[in-house]
This record gives sequence, C-alpha cells and structure tokens, in this order.
Amino acid sequence: MSQNGAGPVSVWKILKWVVALLVAAIAIFPIWWMINVVFALPGEPVSLNPRLWPTSLSAGIANIHMIFAQTEFLRAYGISVAYALLTIAGVLVFGSLAAFEFSLFEFPGRRVLFGFVLLSLMVPSAVTIIPAYLLTSQLGWLNTMQGLVVPGIASAFGLFMLVQFMRAIPKDMIEAARLDGANHFQIYWHVALPLSRNAVVTLAILTFIQTWGNYMWPLIVGSNAEMYTVSQVVGLFNSPLSHHTVDTVMTANLLAAIPPLVFFLIFQRKIIQGIAMSGTKG
Amino acid sequence: MAFLEISSVSKSFGTLPVLSDIDLDIEQGEFVVFVGPSGCGKSTLLRMISGLEDVTSGTISIESEVVNDVEPAQRGTAMVFQSYALYPHMTAFQNVSFGLRMARKPRDFIAGKVEQAAAILQLDKLLGRRPGQLSGGQKQRVAIGRAIVREPRVFLFDEPLSNLDAELRVQMRAELMDLHRRLQTTMIYVTHDQVEAMTLADKMVVMSEGRIQQAGPPLTLYDDPANRFVAGFIGSPKMNFLPARLAAVRADSVQLEGIGGTASAALPLAGIASEAGAIEIGIRPEHLRLVPDGSESDGGLVLDGRVALVEELGAESFVHMDLADGTRIIVRAGRDAARPEHAVRAFIELERALLFGRDGQRIYGRSARRR
Repeated sequence: MSQNGAGPVSVWKILKWVVALLVAAIAIFPIWWMINVVFALPGEPVSLNPRLWPTSLSAGIANIHMIFAQTEFLRAYGISVAYALLTIAGVLVFGSLAAFEFSLFEFPGRRVLFGFVLLSLMVPSAVTIIPAYLLTSQLGWLNTMQGLVVPGIASAFGLFMLVQFMRAIPKDMIEAARLDGANHFQIYWHVALPLSRNAVVTLAILTFIQTWGNYMWPLIVGSNAEMYTVSQVVGLFNSPLSHHTVDTVMTANLLAAIPPLVFFLIFQRKIIQGIAMSGTKG
Repeated sequence: MAFLEISSVSKSFGTLPVLSDIDLDIEQGEFVVFVGPSGCGKSTLLRMISGLEDVTSGTISIESEVVNDVEPAQRGTAMVFQSYALYPHMTAFQNVSFGLRMARKPRDFIAGKVEQAAAILQLDKLLGRRPGQLSGGQKQRVAIGRAIVREPRVFLFDEPLSNLDAELRVQMRAELMDLHRRLQTTMIYVTHDQVEAMTLADKMVVMSEGRIQQAGPPLTLYDDPANRFVAGFIGSPKMNFLPARLAAVRADSVQLEGIGGTASAALPLAGIASEAGAIEIGIRPEHLRLVPDGSESDGGLVLDGRVALVEELGAESFVHMDLADGTRIIVRAGRDAARPEHAVRAFIELERALLFGRDGQRIYGRSARRR
C-alpha cells in the first residue's frame, strides 16, 4: 500500500496538498487572467463584473492579429529569438570548453583563474553594465546583434555549473579515451560533452529564460527601434503614455510569455541526473 | 635486450617519492603480475608504462625503443581499468570500436575487428547494449574488448577484477588465463590479491614502499623469498615468524636458542655469514606437524603451546597456537586435529625453515634451498 504512495490519509498529507494547490493556483492565476483578458469580448476586461473564463475566441484572435499586423512585434520576436539562440550557443560552446579544462586538467594558474570566475559571480551585473556599454560602444557594436550577444556569452554562472558537473566525470574515462588515441578535442567532443548533456541542457534552458526576459542590456545597447527585443516592445505597450487598451497590452504580454512557457513545458522533464556514473562500477 | 625494459625508473609526485630505482625486464608473451599492498606504487608503475604518468627519471623501453616521451596512444599498450571506464552513453559496440573510430579506420574494418573481439569474449549478443544494461562481468569483457581491438603489444590490467564478486572473480581469472594462452601477448597485471597473482603470473613482481622486493616465478617466490616482506606477503595463511637468537655459528650448522620462548635447535645450515644475535625463523603452516602433547622429538625442533582457536575448512584445518612467549603460530593440520584450550606440540621440518635477519633480509645458508 504505502509502496504505491497510497498510505493512510493523514492530516499532514492533506495539509501538504492544500499548500501545493494554493501555490499552484497563485502561480497559474496571472497567466490564466492574461488568457482570460485576451480572449474576452471587447470592453469586458474593464467592466465592473469581469468573468473568470474566456468569453470570446474570435476577439482574442483579432487581438493577436492586430498585434502582429500593426506593431513591430514580429520583428522584435525575431530579434529576441536570434538573441536568445546565439547567446545559448555562445554560452554553451565557451562554457563547456572552459569547464572541460577547468574540471578535468591541471594547468598552471588554474585555481587562481577559477577564483576570478567565482569572484565575478558575486559582482552584480548593474555594476559592470557601464564598462560593458563603453567597451561595446568603442567596438562600434551599438545597435548590432553582436553587441547584444557577445557580452553575455562569458557566463561565469554557466562555467561554474558545468565545472561542478564535469568534475564528477571519472578521470579513468578521460584517460581511457587518451589511451584509445582520442586527441584533446575528441575527448571533449565524444566523452566529456555527451556525459554532461543534462547539465548542458539545463544551462541552455536557464540561459534562454534569462536572455528572453533580459530588459536592461538590450535597452542600453539597442536604442534603435529596429533592434528592440520582445521585452522592450512589451515595455512600450505597458508604458504610461501608451494609448493601448488593456486587452491589447495583455495580448502583447501573452505573446511574450508563450516562448518561455513552451520551452519550459518541453524541457521540464530533463532532470539533472549524472549518467556519468552509471557505466563505471559493477 | 628484453621486450619491455624498465631501467632505474623513479617517480615522485612533487617532493614525495613513490617509486625508486625500479629495474625490471619483461619478455614477450609473459604474464607479469605486480602485487603488493595498497600504496606500494604498483599502479603508478603500470600507469608509467601506459604513458598516463610521466617518468621522473630512468627509462622505459618497449622493443628497444625508449618510450618515455611517446604519447600513450602511440606506445602500443592498451589498458583495462579497475572501474572499466566504459563510456556510459555509448553501446558496447561503440565502446569497443572507440579507438578505431578515433583513428578514422574504415567502417568495414572496424566492424570486422569488433566482431572478432566479440567472438573471443562472447560479447556478440551484447554489442547493442549500453554499459548500464550490462552486468559487472559483461562490462569487464567489454573493457577487455576495447583493449583487444587495438592489437596492443602490451596489455595492462589495473586491478580489473576487484569490483567483481568472489565467484565471478574466479571465473574471470580463468578467462584471462585462457585469453593470454590464445593471444600470446605480453600482459602486465596489477593486483593486491596474492592469490590472483600466484594463479595468473608467469612472473610475479612483489612490491612494497615503492621498491621491487623480489621478482620471479610465483613458486620460486613462495619457496625462496628474498626477505621477510615477500615471505609474509605470499601464502595464505601467512608464514609464521618465530623470534629466536642465533647463539653460535659453526661450519656446518647454526645453533638457535630461545625459539618461541624456550626451544632451541641446531639448524643444518652451512656458510652463514651472519653474526650471533636476534633473528627470526620463518616457517610455513604446512611445514609444521601437530603431534599429541608429550610426543618424543624425532630430532627436529619441538614447539609446545596451547591451542587458541581452530579454523575448520572441511578438508583441513588451521590451528592457531600460542607459544610460551606469546607468539602465535598457525599450523596446517587435518580435520579434527586439535581442540581449543588444549596443550599441543608441533614439530618443525627444520630443512624448510628460513632465517631472517633483524633488517628483514633473508639469511642464506648453503642447504637452505634443499627441499
């Protein structure tokens, strides 16, 4: 009985469920409300008696169509997707290559260098944003994709996370590959990287969520409207001087929230579990 | 020149010396076992041969070529790790073929080689599985397969059986012997298990504290150990060591006194260079004979004591016996040979007794090798 998790119902168990459901409701409600507002008959969201469920599918579709057809939203979408994907690619490539060296090999200055990396984790990004802006500006990268992406590629957090994970890869495995004639890059590519797959996927998800929602850096480096990301466009909708109605603003918000939601739903099953150990001991 | 020659090799990690002055010749096709307690440097020596560890000083050469600075993959050695070190994300086939794939060999060639190795190791049906789906013994075979396909000049095994249960270990041991017989390739094997070493080795290299204590055929080391360490390390149960005093050295014999407290005997050893003083007598459990208390001596050495405990193994028993001075010795005897707390008497086959000096080195006499 208890093996199936269906033991006797205790007060404690009921309490746990109540708390879990409450937390879930609180988390879901804003999203639900957003959907509710978008798919509502015009005028209903601001009425004194709003409904808790969608009332008009066609009104919602019309809202979405309006956003895509009459605003810069689609272009911003493209910019945001490119920004996120390029940043993910950069973070993964540089992070995993650096983590491979830091975690599996000895070289002079390794500890000191890694100490610097950890140190940079403790500096808030707001502190580095002005020097980063000046540097980007001097490179002539303002209002360019590389200006948006490159400064975010050196991720201390990503490196730290991958190093922690790769440290668990047995040294024997690296040595076996070396004896098998694999060169340095082949060891990285065929052994270390596949064994770190879970960590790499997790880092990709976290990087996506972070870049998609990043507001400050795109705002500073991409002042030109052509480089606006989704978060900035949504910001425009939300600004005090905008003349959009609530349902239009909510539609913009909903469209901005969909990619991370989908992303999360696809990858939430990716639980971090080291497959590195499974092949070693009998 | 020997097939694999290790000369004056030393190794230290920083300031910590782990191996000093290792000299060893290994012939082609020989099965050599490095054995010793943990921390004796045997695995380090193996890793130095493989190239995974640098040589601090001295040279290692294979077929007359010094390989000190040759990359591990180019040495023609293949290693089987204690942990097997299989790649968990690859199938057995991919694991076995990894080295060939890295060398960009043609697909057909790789398939043929893997098939061949799989046939030798009875892996045919397991090639599609991942390490997580294999048992310990099967993983071990895949790891050996990975070594075989490289057709190495020297196989290196680093405690490959220590993760297996006792029954499987015996079985894998037999398979390794069979593999060696069929491939006729030089194999170097590291273990801390002296039974494994005795059964597998053509040449057994006993190591301790970063030095080779003695190297030779297992039975030679068993019968004729060079020092107290080797004598005590090989054999189960261990050799008995009895404190004694060398009272007088004559031309054709030595007089020993205070053996195990009180006993004394004249040992028919000639040409002993040692001076009078404290020594130890080494005698294996099977070279002691239990007789009823009060039996008359037949001219050999007689030890009186009390039975502390008896280990019954069915066919034989090991009788632990306390001597007058508290020294405990083990006598190999038949079934029901003694009962605890009873007084017993043991005869020593004197011609089998070995003498060790205070420094642990063997004191050789001319007739010491007589059997």
